[in-house]
Parts: sequence; C-alpha cells; structure tokens
Amino acid sequence: MGAIEKQRNILDFTLSSLGRRKGKNIALVVVYTFVIFLLASVLFFTHSLKKEASLILQDAPEMTVQRLLAGRQDLIPTHYIDTIRQIRGVQSVAPRLWGYYYDAMSGANYTLMVNAELNDRAGEIIIGNGVSMRSMSGIGNQALRKNDIIPFKTYDGSVLTLKVRGLLPFASELVTADLILVSEADFRTLFSIANDQATDLVLNVRNAKELSTIAAKITQIHPDTRPILREEILRTYDAVFDWRGGVIFMVLSGVFFAFIILAWDKATGLSAEEKREIGILKAIGWETSDILLMKFWEGSAVSIAAFFMGIFLAYLHIFLASSILFEPVLKGWSVLYPSFRLTPYISVYQIATLFFLTVIPYTVVTIVPSWRSATIDPDSVMRM
Amino acid sequence: MIRLQNVRKVFNADKSNEFVAIEGVNLSIDSHGATVLKGPSGSGKTTLLSILGCMARPTSGRIMLKEREITSLPERFLTEVRRETFGIVFQQFNLIKGITALENVMLPAYPNGEKHASLKKRAMDLLDLLNLTGKAFSKVEWLSGGEAQRIAIARALINNPAIIIADEPTAHLDTRLSREFMEIMRQLKKEGKTLLIASHDPIVYDSTVIDRIVEMRDGKIESSGDVP
Amino acid sequence: MIFHPGILALLLGSALTTSMLCYSAYEGVRIIRNWDISSGSERQLELERRTYLVSTVMSYVLGFQLLSLFLFIYTADTLSPLFIGAMCAAGSLNVNGFGYSALVLKIVGCLLAGLWLVVNFTDNKAYDYPLIRKKYWLLLFITPFLIAETSVQAGYLLGLKPNIITSCCGTLFSADAKTVMSDLLALPLSLSESAFFLSTPITIVSGLYVYFKTKGAYLFSIASFIHFFISIAALISFISIYFYELPTHHCPFCILHPEYGYVGYPMYLAILVSAVSGLGTGIINPFRNIASLCNVIPRIQKRFALISILSNSVFALIVVYGILFSNLSMAAY
Repeated sequence: MGAIEKQRNILDFTLSSLGRRKGKNIALVVVYTFVIFLLASVLFFTHSLKKEASLILQDAPEMTVQRLLAGRQDLIPTHYIDTIRQIRGVQSVAPRLWGYYYDAMSGANYTLMVNAELNDRAGEIIIGNGVSMRSMSGIGNQALRKNDIIPFKTYDGSVLTLKVRGLLPFASELVTADLILVSEADFRTLFSIANDQATDLVLNVRNAKELSTIAAKITQIHPDTRPILREEILRTYDAVFDWRGGVIFMVLSGVFFAFIILAWDKATGLSAEEKREIGILKAIGWETSDILLMKFWEGSAVSIAAFFMGIFLAYLHIFLASSILFEPVLKGWSVLYPSFRLTPYISVYQIATLFFLTVIPYTVVTIVPSWRSATIDPDSVMRM
Repeated sequence: MIRLQNVRKVFNADKSNEFVAIEGVNLSIDSHGATVLKGPSGSGKTTLLSILGCMARPTSGRIMLKEREITSLPERFLTEVRRETFGIVFQQFNLIKGITALENVMLPAYPNGEKHASLKKRAMDLLDLLNLTGKAFSKVEWLSGGEAQRIAIARALINNPAIIIADEPTAHLDTRLSREFMEIMRQLKKEGKTLLIASHDPIVYDSTVIDRIVEMRDGKIESSGDVP
Repeated sequence: MIFHPGILALLLGSALTTSMLCYSAYEGVRIIRNWDISSGSERQLELERRTYLVSTVMSYVLGFQLLSLFLFIYTADTLSPLFIGAMCAAGSLNVNGFGYSALVLKIVGCLLAGLWLVVNFTDNKAYDYPLIRKKYWLLLFITPFLIAETSVQAGYLLGLKPNIITSCCGTLFSADAKTVMSDLLALPLSLSESAFFLSTPITIVSGLYVYFKTKGAYLFSIASFIHFFISIAALISFISIYFYELPTHHCPFCILHPEYGYVGYPMYLAILVSAVSGLGTGIINPFRNIASLCNVIPRIQKRFALISILSNSVFALIVVYGILFSNLSMAAY
C-alpha cells in the first residue's frame, strides 16, 4: 500500500538524517536517557521494596496485638492470651518475643527474634545473610560461618556467647538480612524479660471478614491493647513507599525541567543547515504533513532510544548494582546491606507510568517547534 | 498551459515594511516552449517563478493550470500539483549533504508512496541517462560542480514532470558548465518538456533553446516577446 | 492525596493534553472567525498553517487519551490495596464520587477525539476544506469534555485517602447492589447473551452493506452505537464470567490483569475502534453531496466499515473462544 511505503521512505530518510547530525542528537539522547534512568530507578526501587514488604507480610499473622503503656508500646502480659482465646472466631493466639540489638563492634542494629525451633537448643542462633557478612565477632572482614561463636552483651553488661547453627535462606534478603533467630531462654536472659511477658501477641482467625469485629472486642476487654491488622501494615508500607517514591520524583522534577528546557531549546534552535534542508524538501515536493511525519519519526527514534537505554541502565543499577545511588536515601535505616540485591521485578504498569512522565512531556514540548519548522515556505530556498 | 491573471503578491501586508513583490502580472505560458524570466535582482522574477511553480500562493489574482483553477488550493493539494507537474533546479543546486547522490535524486518521490525498489530503479535509469551511474553511491559533497548540476537535474526529473523550472541555474557555473546545462535543457525540450528559467545570464537568454523572453522590472512585466 | 508515581503521571498527562486542546480551541475560534479559503492573504496562509498544528495536536491528544484511559484503570487497580475492601479497580474507583465519572468521561473523550480525527481526515481530502468551520465547532464542543475529564480525574485522584472503606468488585458487581451495573447483571444471562449475539451480526452485516453498496451509513452508525453499549454490558454480565470461570465475578477490570492473559486490552480496544469507525461513518454521511467530497466520502466510509467489521469480528472471536474454552460450567448454577 502506498501509505505504508510512504511511511517507510520517510522513516528511512529520517533515520539517515539523525545519523548525519550525531553531535546535536547525542547530547539530547544522553540527557534524555539520564532523566529516564533516574525516574526508572526510583520506580523500580520503590516497587521492589513494596514487593519485598508484601513478601514478608505474606507469612505475617493476620492480627498482632500490642500493649500500650503511656502511649508507648510495652511488654504484654501472657495471661491476656486466655481471655482473647475466648473470643468467638479466634482460632489461635500465640505470644511473640522479638526486639533489636545494637552491636557496637559493627555499629549495626540487628533484629532478634525467638524461634520455637531453637527452644530446646539454647545457646544456638540462626543468622541472616547481612549479619554473616558484617563481622560481629571482630575477626575482620571474614564472613561468619556455621559453628562460629558470637558474643552478645546482656542487659547488665555481662557477655553471653552464642553459636551459629546456620544461615537463613536468601529468599528475601531485605527481610532476613539483619535477622538473628534465638531461643526463648536466651532471649529472656539477654534482655531480662519475665516469663509471663511477651513482646506482642499474634492471632489467627477463622474468617477474615470478622477481623475488625474481633479487633473491636479485644480493645473492649483489654483497653490498654492495640490490635494491628496485616492489611493495615501492608497498606501503610505501600503508602510509605509510594510516598517516598513520589517525594523523590518531586526532587527530581528540577532535573526533569532542565531536560524539558533543553529539549525545547534543541527543537526550536534549528541550525541554518536544517532550515535549508527542510526548505529544499518542501520545494522539491514534500508537504507540511510529510515534514511533520519526519519530525514525528525523529522524535520517536530519540524517545525510543533514550527510553530503552534509560530503563536498561536503571535495571542494571537497581537489580545488579545494588541501587548504589539511592541506598542511603531510600532505605536509610541500617548500615547492614553491603551487597543488598532486590528481586528483579518490572511491570507493564511501571513502564506505562514512566512513559507518561517522560515521553509525553518531551513530545508535547517538541510539537510546536516541529510544526514551526515544518511550515517553512517552500519558496524560502529560492529567496535565500 | 499556465495562465496568470492580474496576480499580485504582497509581503508583510498592513505593516510598516509592507512590500509589493509583484503586481498586475498577466502571463500565459504555453506547453513545450522555453521561456526565460529576465530582469535585475529584486525585479520579482523569483517571486513570479515561485507562484508559477506552485510554491507560493498569490495575495490576489487567479492562476489556471491546464484549465484547472489552482489559485486558492491549500498547500496540501498545491504540493501534490507541484510534485506531479514541476521539476525544480535551484541556484547552487541545493542538494542535501551527507546522503548519496542516488538518495538526493529519489527524495522528491518519497511522499508518493512508490515502492522503494522500483523508485530506486527509476532513479538509477535517470542517473544512467545523465552519465552519472558511477556516482550514484557517492556523497554529494564529493561531486564536482558539473556532476552536482546533473544530479540536481536528475532530481528535478524523477517525478516525470511536464514543466522544468530553473532559478538562476548558471549563476555559480563557469561558461563551459553553463553551456552544458543549456544543452541538457535543449534535450529536455526536445523530449517535450516545458522550460521556465529565471536568469540574467546571456548564455541562457541568448541561447537558441529559448523561444520567449519575459522581462521584469519592479514587480511588473516590462516586455514579453518571442525570440525571433 | 496519595503521592503515587502513577497519580503524578496521570495528572501531568491530563494537564498537558488539556492545555494543548485549549490552545487548539483558541486557534479554532480564530479559524472559525477569519477563514477565507479564496483569499491568498498572509493571514489566511497563516491560518492554513495553524490547521496543521491543530491536526497534529489532536492526533497526539487521541493517542494520549487512549493510553491514559488504560493507565487510569491500571492505577486504580494498583491502588486498591490501600482501601479496605477494594480488591481491584472496581473498588478503588468507588472510593469517592468522582471515580466512575472520570472513567466515563475518559471513554467519551476517546470517542470524541477519534470522531474529530475522522472528520478532519475527511475534510483534508477535499481541496476546498468544506468542513473546516464545522470541524472547529466540533473541536469547541469537545474541549469542555476534556476539561471536565481532567478536573473530575483530579478530583478523584486528589481526593483519595487510604483506608476509606469502599465496596469491592465482589459487592459492587454482585447482583443485589443498586447500581446501573447491577441492573445490567439483573438481566438474565440469556438476555444479554442473545442481545450480544444478535447485535454483533447486525452491526457486521450493516457494515458489509456499507462496504459493498456504500449505502445505509446511518443504519450502520446507529447499529454500531447500540452495539457499543451492548458490548460493554455483555462484557460485564456474561463474557467476564467465562474468562474468570466464576459465575459471580462480573468485574470489568480484572479482565485486564495478567492472570487472564491481558485479554481485556484487545477486547476494549476492539470495542472502542468499532465505535469510532461506526460512528465516524455516520458523522460524515451528511456531507456526501458536497462536490469536493462526493468521491471521497464513499471511499472513506468503505474503509471505516471494513475497520469496524474487522474489530467486531476480532471481539466476537475472542468472546467465542472464551466461551468454548472456559472451564465454567453454567449448568451447576
């Protein structure tokens, strides 16, 4: 069909024209790619964090009950378990013991959690990957292995040594990196927690629809408690990560506007040579829409090149290079993650969002300049 | 073939720098002839040529092309008419740098939507005709003046137009190349093309190829007569 | 407001599209007032140049509108975990009163932009641009819709606050809730099914009539218009359940999810394309007697009829495929 051949011919010519003006276009593509790289990195990063968070929470209990004392979370008496178990619809209630441990030697905070499997193996621990990399034992930079001995400082300053029984699997590094699993006895010794107290309680219910009713009943029976639903945590995580991503986007908007101005400048500042060429094309029989078509292909070629390069680089950055650029900004809660890797995850939605935030503004900015250059009078070459 | 009636073209209308390029022009160009527009620079030759060649629309007046009124045809359609009817050779040839001679010749036909292969074949045939086969794949900036001139002619011929328009074609050529140009024009005229040349070069207007000379001054036609 | 990249993208995209359209409308007013094709004055030449700008802008507007429609649904889908009870876009769109209005306005925006391009395409084929004033009046008519769309969408997105209890697709699209959608579901399955399998051949046959005889454009146009609504109703009331393989799941959005192989995209695209080409055939029909258009319009109508026939067939084939290969057994219910 003629229309398709025409598109092909004009596309051919456009691509060869782009090649002829490498200098001008390369600068634009580099900046364009950089902008897309930045935005894509933020998107991929926050999205993966969300994904990781939801992975953790998949196994989390449907409801957690905490006790509040003077507006702060406090240890919860284990006898609450009995009254809560009485509530209709509650399937099981279990106490949990967990907390944080600051290790002065490595300068890192670890999450300590009691694991029932270790209860008859007091004196042994299972550690996450991050813990093993960060030398707690002070042996230098060597990674911790099975059977290594780690000293812990207890509440009163004495030392408790625990033996590494094994490492946690890699599945989700973000969650388990700083985790140390200990036995109940060791945990209580370490922090001096009485036997009738726990950090919080976890509940399973028969029917997920009754969660909020049960939560209401719990606060009725024990007004000093605060039930938290898994859905709420998930929602909060989502909102927090989205919000962080959004904030970074706003910070990056400066870079983005700089790019838009550059694009505008490049599009309006046609060289005399380009103007002459368009004049010639029009004089020898090209029409305004043909030139507009050429400009459309030109913009598409630049956008597609920058878009894919930017996404590719962002992918490398986030999933292979451990997000070196933002780690301190977005995570910022631990010094633990030397080689932190997120599970690669890209969706069509992220790509579409990115397209809206970059290619569409670029296109809009170039419409008027391309139209202006396309409407050069055909007889202009004769009057030059 | 082309008839102009009372054509007027104004630039910067209603502004302080208003400028009337041509005024009250009545002209009729016959088929198969060779006409020269002659006159000093600023006399309106180029403007008249661009109106005749459907590159610009007159501010007022009427234009008929082969009994079809094209005065108020929008650019979209005027371009189509121009592409089909006119082949244009510019002063300095105006070839596009950085691409091959062959591509330059093919350019005017791109918007027609012709198959690339058949278009390429036609372009090669034209280059062959003008003894340029060997230069087809050279970049135009490597061509000699004479070769560039013939490429420009090949480009004007690619859409097989009935009328060839040339604007000061010999202005940058030496005498030998100017004569060579006129020889090619003679050939084209013999093949039945209508020639329309703006020039103040005696090699052009004194050439035996020319049938008619239209003299212009201050945007008006001063005299118009057949060459004896 | 939720600070979500998708929301920022939608707001930015809409703002850009609408401002471009407003600018075009401004040019439109100038064209309507000053257009005089017989003049060769500089003003007229300048106006003619502006028509190229407006055409370009409108093509981009249509493209962006179409993308933004799907991005909007997708965003609503992504945000659903933030709202209690919302399981997909159906729930998040219900979080405040603007959600569904924004969606409807977006669809209307796509159809109108598509129709404008049809008229523009037709007009550009005639050497005297006979429809120039009409098409710019149409542009002025379209502009408020897109402004409304942008504002309603902004109202929806800015008004989103996580945790608001909302109904999810399970309740909104189950047969006892009182909404238009649920009225659709209250139709016996056999009724919507037979309506769909009746209107599909009617639309295709009337399209074929236009294609071969270049007559009956209005009939075809009306059939396409009705078919547009029947298709959407059918999609919600019976087509969806074959794809979900659940007799109670009627959500029109989940079908866009990867679990269902993104099958919703070709279906919705087919519905939109067939509506624009069908309505487009009718909208240019009154002008078929204009001298410069009498040869052009039948050819364009033929082309649009063909496009409509193809997209309707694609849609029908997907539906038939879904029904034949579904594991849903209706006998049990």
